[in-house]
Amino acid sequence: MVSEDVLRTHLQELRRGTVVVASLVALRRPDYGYALLQRLTDHGFPVDANTLYPLLRRLEDQGLLTSEWNTAESRPRKFYRTSDEGESMLNRLLDDLAAVQTSITGLIQGVDR
Amino acid sequence: MNTLTDRYLAATLRSVPTQRRDEIATELRASIEDMIDDRTGGGADPTAAEREVLTELGNPDVLAARYADRGLQLIGPTYYLVWLRLLKLLLSFIPALVGTIVAIVNVAEGKGFGAIGPGIVVALHVGVHIAFWLTLTFAIIERSQTTVDLPGWTVDQLPDAPVHRGIPLADTVASVIMLVLTIAYLPFQHYQSWVHGTDGENIPILDPALWSFWLPALIVVLAASVVVEIVKYRIAHWTWALFTTRALLSLAFAVPLMWLALSDRLLNPALAERLSWLADADNRNVLGATIAVGAAVVAVWDLIDTALKTRRQTA
Repeated sequence: MVSEDVLRTHLQELRRGTVVVASLVALRRPDYGYALLQRLTDHGFPVDANTLYPLLRRLEDQGLLTSEWNTAESRPRKFYRTSDEGESMLNRLLDDLAAVQTSITGLIQGVDR
Repeated sequence: MNTLTDRYLAATLRSVPTQRRDEIATELRASIEDMIDDRTGGGADPTAAEREVLTELGNPDVLAARYADRGLQLIGPTYYLVWLRLLKLLLSFIPALVGTIVAIVNVAEGKGFGAIGPGIVVALHVGVHIAFWLTLTFAIIERSQTTVDLPGWTVDQLPDAPVHRGIPLADTVASVIMLVLTIAYLPFQHYQSWVHGTDGENIPILDPALWSFWLPALIVVLAASVVVEIVKYRIAHWTWALFTTRALLSLAFAVPLMWLALSDRLLNPALAERLSWLADADNRNVLGATIAVGAAVVAVWDLIDTALKTRRQTA
């Protein structure tokens, strides 16, 4: 029987990098913090608010996201979108994710059970 | 206005860099309100929803650290090993060195055995200071944005694999301490024997006449034994040459001791004046014989023990 704690740690490790990939994909369509959080959750990427909000700012600092304040609505919201730089970075990350999946598949098939 | 949200924002922004504080505040407030609205839209009580949202966001200090991209540790993995190595290195000799110097200075000022206390106290103080200042320095380096260029690890730094020692360090240390204490006792008993004459003056246990030759000779033999112990540790196992040297030194100590004890020349004749039991010649002979037999038993036992070890380790 696998311990729940150990399982949770490994799942966390496995998921850690995918939040960045998912955010860069999702922000090809501009969005603000909480709306992005909900979209990611709806698509099977549950992420904590206290992780996502600082992450968005960090990606912006790295030039992977651009932002724009929208003051037209009832409360001012900061809309993020994936920059050109972010897009090329995302393509590299997606290639690598695909490569990992291919490698895993190859390994599974190559190992007799 | 001092709602839970205001308090949460204030607590979070306290440790976020100033130049981005306002922007983060506006965005975070909007996000919190979005989250609350989402819950009250589902029919939840606004106050309960606020509590729930802030609880979900968690400890504001953790959130602020994530915004500032700052580690939540005093010394992180980049510097931890360097810190630990320096700490061990500095603590391994500086407190003992300073403590010893202080003790020696106190002895020079004539404080006698009272000098050990201040020495130990100073050594402890120095140890605490080293640990505190070194840790503070590394905590500051950890928090500064500048990266310190640390030399990378190479295979050349690998220490030698520990060789199997036939001579444990603890044994050597214990032997050297015993020998040094014995050497120290010989002059010590001359000045401080806790036996006092009628005028309150100190009466040495051993005959002061022995200082003309025998006691200095015994001290030389003991000092040579210390050297042999250290050489033995460096060689790391017994050899027949070591055994012979050790046996000769053992005899050079035991034989004069036995001879002096049996010929009633070991103890100070002045002791008999204070301890009436010693005034009787028969009693003195019994005591001398006891000392001689004790010295013989110790010497023989030592010879057998080291011979067995030597045979085992040279086999």
